Amino acid sequence: MTVTRDLLVDLDALREQVRVKYREVAVDPHASFHFHTGRVLARRLGYDADAVGALPDRAVESFAGVGNPFSLRPLAPGERVVDVGSGAGFDSFIAGGQVGPGGRVIGVDMTAEMLAKSHQTAEELRLAHVGFREGFAESLPVEDAWADVVISNGVINLCADKQAVFAEIFRVLRPGGRVQFADIANGRPIPAEALRDIDLWTG
Amino acid sequence: MLQDSGFTDVVTSEAIDTFGGANGEGKARTFEVYGYAFMARRPA
Repeated sequence: MTVTRDLLVDLDALREQVRVKYREVAVDPHASFHFHTGRVLARRLGYDADAVGALPDRAVESFAGVGNPFSLRPLAPGERVVDVGSGAGFDSFIAGGQVGPGGRVIGVDMTAEMLAKSHQTAEELRLAHVGFREGFAESLPVEDAWADVVISNGVINLCADKQAVFAEIFRVLRPGGRVQFADIANGRPIPAEALRDIDLWTG
Repeated sequence: MLQDSGFTDVVTSEAIDTFGGANGEGKARTFEVYGYAFMARRPA
């Protein structure tokens, strides 16, 4: 198994490409993408049906994860969680249900349209312990050693500087804290010219 | 990469057929792209 190498493309150009793609997923979630989205995807990835069923469409329809960060270990009541690349908030709201009102969840995303949806859902559900901030995975707007757990889903593969992302996750975790994330990896090597083709990173 | 960043106790899930039935399935099959869940710990 190999993982795509770092800094093969321009960081800012890739960010803009990702922002454009996920803005589309936010505003037109039922359009045709190269990946599954929404409730169909959540079911495919094994999410708890009752937890997903309790969420409004706004929180689920733009979900575009690639796995289930909670599959290896559920979160515990009272834990403090950071969701890197929280999108419209799907995993943050699932996390909020697991940690309960005694815990805290901070979702971080760079796409305004996604953040708007997550803010609206948190307000609708009156979830005071789930909040969202604008920011980048490489510079999380979270203080040092704040989190018990960092989650992420299908985001790190879209970051040009993965080493910087992992360093940032390490920084915001308390000693003894854990990262639980889902992402893609390829079993066959991808040609070097394809790795440098920014259009292929997002679709 | 997790270990290079200082994480320990790395656990990886079985492969998940993330793209099966999606428009991107063909490209995913070509390069054996699957989803995985990962868990690792920052040392205490």
